[in-house]
Amino acid sequence: MIATFRYEFRMQIRRPVLWIVYGLTFAVTVAGFGHTYLDLNLGGDEGREPRPAMIVSAILLTSLLPIVYGCLLADRLVRDRRLGMTDVLDTTPAGRTGRLAGKYLGVCAATAVPLVLAYLGRAAAYAVTEGEPAALGWAAVILVTTVVPALLFVGALALAGPLLMPPLLFRVLFVVYWFWGNIIPATMMPTLSHSILSANSQYVAYGLLGFGHYRELPPNVILPPGGIVYGPWPGAALNFLRPEASPAVALLWIGVMIALAAAVLLLARLHTARTES
Amino acid sequence: MRIEISRLTKTYKGGVRALDGLDLDVPTGMYGLLGSNGAGKTTLMRILAGLLRPTSGTVRVGGHDITAADGRLAVQRTLGYLPQSLGVYPDLTARQFLDYIALLKGLDSRPSRRRRIGELLETVALTPDADRRLKGFSGGMLRRVGIAQALLADPRLLVVDEPTTGLDPEERIRFRILLSRLAGDRTVLLSTHIVEDVAQTCRSLAVLDKGRLVFRGEVGELVSRAERRVWTLTTSGPAPSQGRIVAALPEGAGTRYRVITPTAPGPSAQPAEPTLEDGYLALMEPGR
Repeated sequence: MIATFRYEFRMQIRRPVLWIVYGLTFAVTVAGFGHTYLDLNLGGDEGREPRPAMIVSAILLTSLLPIVYGCLLADRLVRDRRLGMTDVLDTTPAGRTGRLAGKYLGVCAATAVPLVLAYLGRAAAYAVTEGEPAALGWAAVILVTTVVPALLFVGALALAGPLLMPPLLFRVLFVVYWFWGNIIPATMMPTLSHSILSANSQYVAYGLLGFGHYRELPPNVILPPGGIVYGPWPGAALNFLRPEASPAVALLWIGVMIALAAAVLLLARLHTARTES
Repeated sequence: MRIEISRLTKTYKGGVRALDGLDLDVPTGMYGLLGSNGAGKTTLMRILAGLLRPTSGTVRVGGHDITAADGRLAVQRTLGYLPQSLGVYPDLTARQFLDYIALLKGLDSRPSRRRRIGELLETVALTPDADRRLKGFSGGMLRRVGIAQALLADPRLLVVDEPTTGLDPEERIRFRILLSRLAGDRTVLLSTHIVEDVAQTCRSLAVLDKGRLVFRGEVGELVSRAERRVWTLTTSGPAPSQGRIVAALPEGAGTRYRVITPTAPGPSAQPAEPTLEDGYLALMEPGR
């Protein structure tokens, strides 16, 4: 598993397309969100505190960049077969399960590097300009509790999905899924957005990190109607998937993301086992 | 390392029977496996490599039953496998690729792994290209990388499937010599439909046809199948209608034919010394 992790990480991090696509997306995002995205003093007046500033930074970061993250991962699992590598790999004593785990962690980690660099870079800039070194600590906490669980789930989905369809089709469907299941307001149509099953949910921000106490928020941040309590949307379908945020629900969300990732990987492993003749 | 195959059958989904009750013993040393496309060679190779499960029958490699998970794992620890179509990661260098496969094969010690990779790059004459990315390698060079990866764990059993297909004559000869040198005290199972590869490297061989074993023995025995059945005949008229023409060479105003048939294909036909290819073709003659 460690060998596969090392080499999959190495191969993915060296892909020029990884840096090009992230760079272009970041540029488009900056152009679209403009002031909000570049402003280091996020979170309004109260947001001069590092914690809400880093939370908003994470919210902005995980709104669109996971699409890039997922699309860049979409060919990684199926390419072994495309390249004709499976026979050589399968005749080594290294088991398929260990190799799958190594590949998953390796390519996910490598694909997350630009995203994490952007986030930590912003945190560092904030820490310097605002004289708030605590921003780096909060950034690390938010990264681990909010960004990483989401990326673990998205990564598993993006690796396994193309086992069932061509990577290009998967990428199209993944973009549709991302907007439907994570971005659009819950009142627009039945959706997983803002639910315990959404990778983009803010349960940790509200339930664990006290984000609801910071009232002034940038105008581009979508919040449920009626305020700062994160949970059910009045009039929305599937509200049973949107419990009110609390520390327990935040931990539940982390657990759900990890469990979903594990389930998807298990299905991928079973699928590859089924294709053994 | 001895391979003992008993009543081996492999039927794919859809009912295609690739191997049909195969019995074969493969001793240590270089061993050829001949057969036309679709004869079942690759299926047998993939079963030996632990990539396919047989439908029925037993396969023991060095005493390990490869139809059982633990037996398969034990064999894979001593196996080197060069598949028919070897894939590589194009963005890795040859050295990195070998390092990755070596790690997967359990060569954990970095100094010994590096030393082994260096030796093998030297063996396959790729040392000058070791740090070039594989996407720039020719077919022959990739085959040599393939054999190097197969040899990483110093395998007792080396399974090579159609290793010279697509290689130019020089690369093919180089590859044959390399395989023969490697045989030594290990078992090298060479599967091919190119008779010349077996003729130049193996003392013993088996021939598969439609999933069944149709010959096993020494190369000389197969050659003798064509004794007194190979003829040459030069004519400016029509091609001989009797027997199987295996070669036709323009000569002056006529054509010199090489024909396999039990009786002389014409009054001017001369008997010729059979080759392994003649023996193979005589064996595969319909209604033999």
